[in-house]
Amino acid sequence: MQFELSSIIPKAIADRPSVMQSDIWGLKINFSKGKNIKITAPSGTGKTTLVNILYGLNKNYTGQLLYNQKDLATITPAELSNLRQIHWSIVFQDLKLFPAITARENIELKRTMQKPVVASSEMEQMAKMLGIDSILNQPAGICSYGEQQRIAIVRALMQPFDFLILDEPFSHLDINNKKKAAQLIQRECEKRGAGIIITDLDKDEYFDYQENLKL
Amino acid sequence: MFNSLLKKLILKQSGKTKIWIARGGLGIAIFLLLTAIQIQSNYDFLLNNQTNKDSIGDFLVINKMLNNETIGNTEIDSSLILKLKEQSFTESIGILTPSRFKASIQSISDRFPFYTDISFESVPDSFIDIRNINFSWKPDADFVPVIVPNMFLDIYNFQFSISQNLPQLSPEIVKMIVFKITVYGNRGPVQFNAKIVGFSDRIASMLVPTQFIEWGNQYADTKESNSVSRLVIKTKDPSDPSIARFLMENQLNTNNEKLRFSKYRKIIDTVVSIAGFTGLIMLAFSLLIFTLFIQLNIANSKEEIGLLIILGASPNQLSRFLFRHFFPGNLISILAGIFLVSLLQFLLQQLLQTQAILIPAFISNTTLISGIVLIALLWYITVKTIKKYIYW
Repeated sequence: MQFELSSIIPKAIADRPSVMQSDIWGLKINFSKGKNIKITAPSGTGKTTLVNILYGLNKNYTGQLLYNQKDLATITPAELSNLRQIHWSIVFQDLKLFPAITARENIELKRTMQKPVVASSEMEQMAKMLGIDSILNQPAGICSYGEQQRIAIVRALMQPFDFLILDEPFSHLDINNKKKAAQLIQRECEKRGAGIIITDLDKDEYFDYQENLKL
Repeated sequence: MFNSLLKKLILKQSGKTKIWIARGGLGIAIFLLLTAIQIQSNYDFLLNNQTNKDSIGDFLVINKMLNNETIGNTEIDSSLILKLKEQSFTESIGILTPSRFKASIQSISDRFPFYTDISFESVPDSFIDIRNINFSWKPDADFVPVIVPNMFLDIYNFQFSISQNLPQLSPEIVKMIVFKITVYGNRGPVQFNAKIVGFSDRIASMLVPTQFIEWGNQYADTKESNSVSRLVIKTKDPSDPSIARFLMENQLNTNNEKLRFSKYRKIIDTVVSIAGFTGLIMLAFSLLIFTLFIQLNIANSKEEIGLLIILGASPNQLSRFLFRHFFPGNLISILAGIFLVSLLQFLLQQLLQTQAILIPAFISNTTLISGIVLIALLWYITVKTIKKYIYW
């Protein structure tokens, strides 16, 4: 299980000088299952673009991206949803929660989208661990951004996955919550033997990174 | 759980009243369409089922219209016979051969004395509606078999016998009476014993075997003539309006009583066509409304559907969910339409039974298959529409 990036350059930022100094753009690089990979970069260098490319949302690039030898540019919608239900999980930078339904429903939606691998009681424990158990029945739209970030993290842990892709997942969390969230994520990844691909503005030591890359 | 969340996200503005009104329309459309098909099936059943077979209904005796212009010229020529054969309503044609000899019949019993001059006709065996009789003749046969119209016996029993103070006679007794036929020819009169072997509603003539007519014509040494002035045609549907039209165009005549149903048939055909056509139009509109309804629902929830797909929901999952939401209600409409047609058929069967008209109590296979085809059509359109708008 691995992502194989061959000379990937997003067309939108192809002309920027930072592309030339990147550890990823335009190079041949693999992300293997089980490894924790940290991608650090300042704003505007394409962190979210990379996340979207890896998650199959952005196909506007040159080069080739394979997942298990399958070209993501030519994959069918059914195959893509299979990857998103079983192989990849994600915390988006903009979270992508449904504001009108409750936090619990947002999480349950992902838990029951495929055959559930996490029990409902386990989900409650995770919510408790991150301190959002009291707001589970509130519409996600009225929760604070920090709470929404934690809802999105719990939601991402509701499915089986080989890779957990995190796009600045702790940006609105205090240090204490960051640690708790990282702990939870680490535990769940270990359960699944999965790897983390995390992007952030700065270096950190929340996870034991096997690779530290600069975008 | 997943489906109830999808319902919350995707079908937040489902417009239940509107869709049920549309479904009501669909049910009526199906009802009208299937009723038109069922009426046609009932009609075919009445035409083809032996239980309903009316012995005068299927056979028409045809001759030229007799008026001042055609007096003395009532011959039906071979080209007209050929034309008649080619008509779609004609199953077969039989030529009625008249006796061209002078003949009389008289009683041999003093108890029922009668004498009358008479003429005969013969017709191919396949046009005779009396079964299990030997309707043939040879010069050395014991008697000449004769078939008389039922009407003759009725006239005797209900008019003549009363006025002449004679006993009434049942068909069985009449069949036992032997009488004499005298054929007059150049070589003098010849007498034969004769017996009535059956009563017919089909042809209003005294029928004798073809061999007897041929023998008599030869004996009387009449001028050989192949001219045909009367025909009998077998037709599947005597109410077919094209029969009346053909006869009129060719100045032919038949018992109009037998054709009177063609007028009703025309009216029924028109009503059935209008019902069927209205049903088709309504069906087309219903299908269009459902297509638009699905499209509108998906368009209203485009953002949510997009996010669901981003989160990993497969288009198939969403299609299945939408199909389960839209199709069962539509299926209920179609089933209600089929049920109403079945109910109508059952009530019609009960009603017509009291008038000795037998139709099936259940809808025909054609109607049922049409219903199934309509279900399949709706299924196909629903699936296609959902797929079209989900995989945008």
